[in-house]
Amino acid sequence: MTTATDGAAAPLRILILDDEPIVCKRLKPAFQKMGHEVETFTDSNAALARLREARFDVVVTDLKMEGADGMQILNGAKDSAADTQVIVITGFATLETAKESYRKGAFDFIAKPFKLRDILDCVKRIEDKRRGLPTEAER
Amino acid sequence: MFAAIRRWAGRPTAPQEGERPQIDLWRLHALFNNFKRILTLNNAVLEEMAKMERALGGEYIFDRAFLESSVSTIANRVHHVAYSLNALTANRHVPLYDRYQEIRTLLDDILANNVHALADEAVLPLDAIGWEHEPLVGMDLVCLAELRNHPGIAPVDGFVVTAEGLRALAGNVPPSSGARADDGQRAGETRAALTDHLRNLTKRCAGAALTATLTLVGEDEQPLREIGCCRIDVDGERREALIATLRSEVPLVPANSRIVLADDRQSSGNAVQEPEAGAVVALLAHALEQIAHAAAIHATDQSGLANLCLFVCPQPEALLKGTIHTRVGSNDALAATDGLVVDAGPAAGAAGDTYLLRRTHPFSLLQSRIAPRPNGHRFADQRRASDAAGDQPHLSRGSALLAPGLLQALAKTAMLLERLFGAPLDIHWQLWADGACRIVRLRPLAIAAGAESAPAAGRPPEAVILCQGGQSGQAGVGAGPVVHVNEATDPETFPPGAVAVARTASPDLTPILHRAAALVTEFGSAAGHLATVARELRLPAIFGLPTALALLPPGTEVTVDGGEATVYAGAVAELLRYGAQPMDLTPQDREYRMLRRLLRFIQPLNLVNPEAPDFSAEGCRTFHDIIHFCHEMAVDELAHFQERRHELGALCIRPLALGLPMDIRLLDIGGGIQPQAAPNPLPEQIGSLPLAAFLRGLLAPQAWDTAAPSLGMRDILAGMPRSVGLLAAPADTLGANLAIIGAEYLNLSLRMGYHFSVIDAYLGEDSSRNFVYFRFAGGFADQERRNRRARFIARVLAAMEFKTTIKGDLVTARLKLADAAILQEALVALGALTASTRQQDTNMRSEADIEDRFADFAATFLTAFRQPHPAARAGGGDEAR
Repeated sequence: MTTATDGAAAPLRILILDDEPIVCKRLKPAFQKMGHEVETFTDSNAALARLREARFDVVVTDLKMEGADGMQILNGAKDSAADTQVIVITGFATLETAKESYRKGAFDFIAKPFKLRDILDCVKRIEDKRRGLPTEAER
Repeated sequence: MFAAIRRWAGRPTAPQEGERPQIDLWRLHALFNNFKRILTLNNAVLEEMAKMERALGGEYIFDRAFLESSVSTIANRVHHVAYSLNALTANRHVPLYDRYQEIRTLLDDILANNVHALADEAVLPLDAIGWEHEPLVGMDLVCLAELRNHPGIAPVDGFVVTAEGLRALAGNVPPSSGARADDGQRAGETRAALTDHLRNLTKRCAGAALTATLTLVGEDEQPLREIGCCRIDVDGERREALIATLRSEVPLVPANSRIVLADDRQSSGNAVQEPEAGAVVALLAHALEQIAHAAAIHATDQSGLANLCLFVCPQPEALLKGTIHTRVGSNDALAATDGLVVDAGPAAGAAGDTYLLRRTHPFSLLQSRIAPRPNGHRFADQRRASDAAGDQPHLSRGSALLAPGLLQALAKTAMLLERLFGAPLDIHWQLWADGACRIVRLRPLAIAAGAESAPAAGRPPEAVILCQGGQSGQAGVGAGPVVHVNEATDPETFPPGAVAVARTASPDLTPILHRAAALVTEFGSAAGHLATVARELRLPAIFGLPTALALLPPGTEVTVDGGEATVYAGAVAELLRYGAQPMDLTPQDREYRMLRRLLRFIQPLNLVNPEAPDFSAEGCRTFHDIIHFCHEMAVDELAHFQERRHELGALCIRPLALGLPMDIRLLDIGGGIQPQAAPNPLPEQIGSLPLAAFLRGLLAPQAWDTAAPSLGMRDILAGMPRSVGLLAAPADTLGANLAIIGAEYLNLSLRMGYHFSVIDAYLGEDSSRNFVYFRFAGGFADQERRNRRARFIARVLAAMEFKTTIKGDLVTARLKLADAAILQEALVALGALTASTRQQDTNMRSEADIEDRFADFAATFLTAFRQPHPAARAGGGDEAR
C-alpha cells in the first residue's frame, strides 16, 4: 500500500473517461487515495473538449463509446500534450485493438474487467517513469 | 482422441484378429469426446462463474457490458453441456433444455431490468425474504430479514405486500386509477394471503397497532425511497380502524381516515360481544387495501414501472426507543472522529441518552451523555428516579437507560447491518414491554457533504503488517481478536465480532461466518463455497494466506483488509473508519445489485445429493445445477459404461505393467500415458496425475504387508453366490480392471478378490472443480464381516474428510473443495486402502478390529491428514487441524 506522497512526488493530473459511471465512480477515489488529482467524464466529446483546454499527465479512457471513441481520445490527448500517457481500458479487447492502441502511443491496454491493483500499478509505473526511477521490469 | 483410439487398434500387442469383435471407433470416439467436452465446458463455466463471483467481492472493476458478455458466454456453454450429455446418454436428459431456457429467460429479464419476472409473490413474510427478493422489497428489508440468521438484536416481525400484491389489491378501484380489470382471481388470492398474514401477526402481537411503510424500490441512483408511512389503530369493540399518516410525500389517505366495519354479529346470532379477531383482521385488511389504492394511484402518476412495496409491522407501545447512527454525523451530539452513536429515550418523548461506542469488537463505550430523569421516572428495571438519593444523586436520576450488554448488542447488530447494506445507516430500534429489543427500520444515513466522497487515508506508516497474500474473497475491513476455528468448532462458542482464522476453507465453517468480523484461511480459494458465503454476507475475507494460523495466534487483535489481502496488528483506525471505501463495490451500486440478481440464477448449487429424488433435470434451478447434474450423469455413464455399453466391452487397451497379481488396463483419453511409454506402460510412465497418486499407494509395500486372511468354511459358502455372479460376467471383463485416464482424470473400475470399487477423480488447475469419488462394495466373508470392513473403510475416508455414506457393505464417498495436494494424498491413501483391504473382511472378526486396523493404517498412510484431538472435536477447541 503505497501513497503518491511517498518520496514527495508531485501529484499527477488524471482524466478518466468511461461512459459507464461505475468505472469512474470506483477509479476516481482509488487514484485520489494515491494522492493524484482526478477529473472524470462519461461523455467523450466533453472529455475531448477538456483535453483541448487543459493538460493531463495521464488519461484513462474506454475504447468503445458513443461520440468520440477511445482512439480519438488517444489521438486528442497526444495532440494536446505528447507526453500525456494514455491507458486504454475496454470490455471488447482484441489483439487488433491492442496493437492499434500501442501503435498510436498508448502506455498500456487493459481488458475489462480488471483488478483495481492492475491499473494502480500501471499509474505507478507512469509515476516512476516521470520521476526517472527504474520500472519494475527494469529492476 | 480419435487418433489415439486408432493407435490402440493398430498397436503391435493388439490381440489377433478374430479373437475380439471389431471396435466401433466412431461410437467410442463420440462417447469419450462428449465426456471430455462436458468436463472442459464445465470448467470453463465454473471459471466464468468464479470471475462473476469475484467481481461481486469487489476485486474487479467492471461494467454492464461485462455482465452481458458473461451471461451470454456462460449460457452458451451451459447449453453445450446439456447437448453433450444428451449426446453421451442417447437423449436421456431432454428436459434439461427446458430448464436451460427458463433460466436463460430470467437472466435476460434481469439484464433488461424486468425484475417482475423474478418472483410473483403478492405477500412475503419478513422471515421468508432473501437476497433474491431485493428487487421487489428493497435492500433495507433484505438486511432486516438477514438479522434472523445472526446473533444480536432480532428484527421486528412483519410482512411485505409486493408491487404484485399492491396491484392485485388495487384491482377493484375505478379504471381511472390504472388498475387492471382482469385481476379478479389474483386479487382474491392476494386478499386471502393478506388476511392470513394479518391473522398470524395479530395473534403474535395482540392489541398492537400496525405501521405500514410504502417504499419505492429499484431506482438507479436512489435504490430506496420512502413514499409514506401510516399507523393503523384498531378498536375492536367499536369495530373501527383509524389510519393516521405519520409522514408522506404523497396523499396516501385522507387525514385521520376512519374505517368502520358493519356489525353483523346480531344477524348471525353470535352473542359473543368481545372484540372478534376476525373483525380486527378484516379492519386491518381494509385499511391496507385503502393504502394499496393510494399506492396504485401514485404508481400510475409517477411511472408504469414504479416498483412499490408496503412493509407492515406491529407497533405496540415501546418502553424505550431510539436510533443508531453507524457513523458520527454532523448533527450528532458526540462529535468524536469515529464511532457509532446510539440514542435512547423513553417512548413518551422525555430527554434521552446518547452513547458513543467503538465500531469494532468489543464495541466498548467511549463516551456517553446521560440525561437526568424527572423525579418519579420509572426505569426499565422498575426502579424510580428520585431526588432522595442521599449523597449520590447521580445514581438515581442520572442512571443510564441502557445497560452495557444491550448497548453492545445494538452496536454489534448495527455494524452487521452496515456491512450488509454497504453504506452508513440510520437504524431505528425499540424495546417493547415483553423485554425484547427489536430493530424496526433502517435507512441510509445522510453523511455531511464532503465527508462521503473523501477517500480514506492510506494505511498509516506505523501500522504493522502481520501477514499478506492469498486471494481476496471479499473486500472490506474488519477487526477483532483472532479465534482459530475448524470444522469441529461449535459456532455457538465463537465470540461474535471476532476474526475467524482457519486452516481450510471448509463449507462447515459457514455458521461461524454469521458471527465473525472477518475470515482468513490458509488453504482454499476465492472461488470456493466459503468465499461465496463470505460475499453473500459481505464479510471481509482472505483465502489461501500461507501460515496464517502460526502468524495470527489466538487472542491477537488484528485488522483484516480483505481487498488488499493484508492483516495488520491491532485495530487500525484509519482503515476501520470507513466500512466501505468509496472505490469499493457495494449494494448501493446498480451493477452490484444486477450482478447479485444474476448470480442467484447462475451460481447456487441446489442439487448436491445424487441420491435425492429431486436430483433430476427438472430439479435444476440454476446454471450451476445444470452443469453439476450433467457432470454427475456423465460420470455415472462412464462409471457404468461397461455394463450399459456392451458393444464397447471388447476394448483393446494397454495393460499396465504393475508387477502385482492384478490386471489394470489403460484407456488413455489424452495425456494419461507418457508418449515414450512402453506398449505395457510401467507405473512411472503414467502421465495421469490422479492415477499416478493412486498407484503410489497401491504399490506401497506396507499396504501389502498384512496378515494372510484366514478363511473358514462359512466364508467360502458366504462368498459363493458372489463368485458365481462374477464368473457369469462377460469373459472380457472378468479380472480386468479398466482405468480411463487423462492427464487430470481417472476413472478406475477395480475388482480385487471379490470386491468391487470405482475411483473417479479429477485433479486439474481449477481446484474448485477437483474431486475424488470412491465407491466400494462386496467381499467374500459373511455379511457382518463385510459390513465391518465397510465401516473400517468409511472410518478411513472420514479421517480424510470425505463425505461418506454407508449402506450395508456399500460405501460411497466424495471429497471436493480441498487443496490439490490433499486430494493427491487422498488418492495415495485410496491406493493403499485398496491393497490392504483386498480380503480384510475375512479378518474383521469383531468391532474392535475396526479401530485396531484404522490405527495401523492411519499411522502409515494418513499422516497428511492430521487428526483432531477427540476433545477438540467434542468441545470445539481452538486448535486448527
